[in-house]
Amino acid sequence: MSTTSTRTLATRALRADGVRPAWQRALVSIAYFVIPIAAILGIWQLVVVLSPPAPFFPAPFAIIGNLWELLFGSDKAVQQVFVGEFLQTVGRMALGFALGAIWGVIIGTVMGLSRGTRETINPIVEFLRSIPATATLPLFIILLGGGDDMRVAFIAYGVSWFVVINTAQGVGSIHKTMLDLGKVFRVSPARRLFAIILPAAMPKIFAGLRIASTAALLLAIVSEFMLASNGIGYMLVQAQGRFQLLNMWSWMLALAILGLIINSLLEFIEGKVLAWHRLSRQRT
Amino acid sequence: MTSTTAPRQARRPSRSGAIWRGVAGVLGLSIVLEIVSRSGIVDQKYLPPFSEVIVRSFTLWGDQQFRDDVASTLLTYLIGLGISIVIAVPLGALFGMSRPIYRGARAVIELLRPIPPVALIPLVLLMLGSGMEMKVVIVVFAAVWPIMFNTLYGVHDVDPYAKDMARSFGIGRFGIIRRIVIPSAAPFIMTGVRISSSIALIVVITVELIAGGAQGIGAYISRLRGSYNDAADTYLSVLAATIMAGLIGLLINLLIGWFERRFFGWEARDSA
Repeated sequence: MSTTSTRTLATRALRADGVRPAWQRALVSIAYFVIPIAAILGIWQLVVVLSPPAPFFPAPFAIIGNLWELLFGSDKAVQQVFVGEFLQTVGRMALGFALGAIWGVIIGTVMGLSRGTRETINPIVEFLRSIPATATLPLFIILLGGGDDMRVAFIAYGVSWFVVINTAQGVGSIHKTMLDLGKVFRVSPARRLFAIILPAAMPKIFAGLRIASTAALLLAIVSEFMLASNGIGYMLVQAQGRFQLLNMWSWMLALAILGLIINSLLEFIEGKVLAWHRLSRQRT
Repeated sequence: MTSTTAPRQARRPSRSGAIWRGVAGVLGLSIVLEIVSRSGIVDQKYLPPFSEVIVRSFTLWGDQQFRDDVASTLLTYLIGLGISIVIAVPLGALFGMSRPIYRGARAVIELLRPIPPVALIPLVLLMLGSGMEMKVVIVVFAAVWPIMFNTLYGVHDVDPYAKDMARSFGIGRFGIIRRIVIPSAAPFIMTGVRISSSIALIVVITVELIAGGAQGIGAYISRLRGSYNDAADTYLSVLAATIMAGLIGLLINLLIGWFERRFFGWEARDSA
């Protein structure tokens, strides 16, 4: 639903902007991006500078500078922060996401292909995915301890549900003719899976992966809030405990940037992988 | 019985067959879990017998503390979702109706939206303490986006000819909004509310779990983990409380799904 809506938005935008030359259009869209942000940052900075000091809201440029200092500062011990905290979080998140995605696609494909399996395990899946993934963190801690493997397993578990549901829907809604075609031409089951079934389900799977990637970051942070010794989430809680508000804001900014990067990365990959899909739909 | 219907009616799923298979699946899993635990294949310390977990999840309700925590979670969820709707629907409608306003706000939205809501917990915790307000603020921050974007799409998707026709019949601006824009955008808004509802519940429980001193199911689980007087018994309660959290989530999802089909069922759309 949302994809068609964005398309109508885009086509209407084309029509509206079609009268102006390209460089003007580019300038306008850059202005639309830069001006509001610059205005907000400017007002924020101004208020902080002019008003009596507000402990909870440091100036925006101080936050940005401090984050830079924290991540890449000249201090030797600080230098490690980028590797020791930032990359730790990213690594755990990526590993958990990958495991959860693979596992989710496998289960989802099985559910999508066989109606019997789907109907048998659907209530179980529906129930398990209704448990907020974060609520299972204490269970994971009790079962697997407080190490990194626990965190990766926890992220993988939480991420997999989005992928399972979307893959099952995508595989289940493939037109029967396409599957029969593979059988008629005696395509081997493995090739049928990789050349027919998975590509046809890809748009749905990607929708699941998009949601899952946002969830992966959230789960990674939550797992670092409880019982961790490194990672951005851990640094954030530490800063809170010591009432270091500037550091806290900087780590929050780091998480925001991370979220932004993940979001745009997945959008980019989706655009590349699913180019055929959108083109084929546009032609009809 | 189900096997006779399978080949010819493959395209038309039989409801009773699905229900029976589902029941069989749930029963089968419960029996397997019970046997695996009782026979000692997996240590009972890690996998208590399933029947005991079920019994515990009922006896939990005898605990006044647990009932208070459930009530607190549900209340926060309702307030948070309500405030999100009140904020997101007008904003989404505004953005959907005016392109320049949307383009102006878009940069800020695109920067705010990817921020994981839990990242705000430390700041809000310091500012507001660990009470209800803190939870509500974070829930609203998380739940606003799906409602806002779905409202935007819904308002944007309103048939322009219908609006033109209403205008040529002399209906005023507010009349058009009330009679055409709202009815045609309502199913979209409802979809947003359904998505936000599950996000809100997850975020409520997550915040309770993390933020020390809070109330709610998450806090209940978190407190249990903190008390180490009887490990096996504590673990049983953690399992039971987690299952209860899932059950509450499932009930809310079913309720909202039913509500959506009942009142907004005219809109044919895919189940995504």
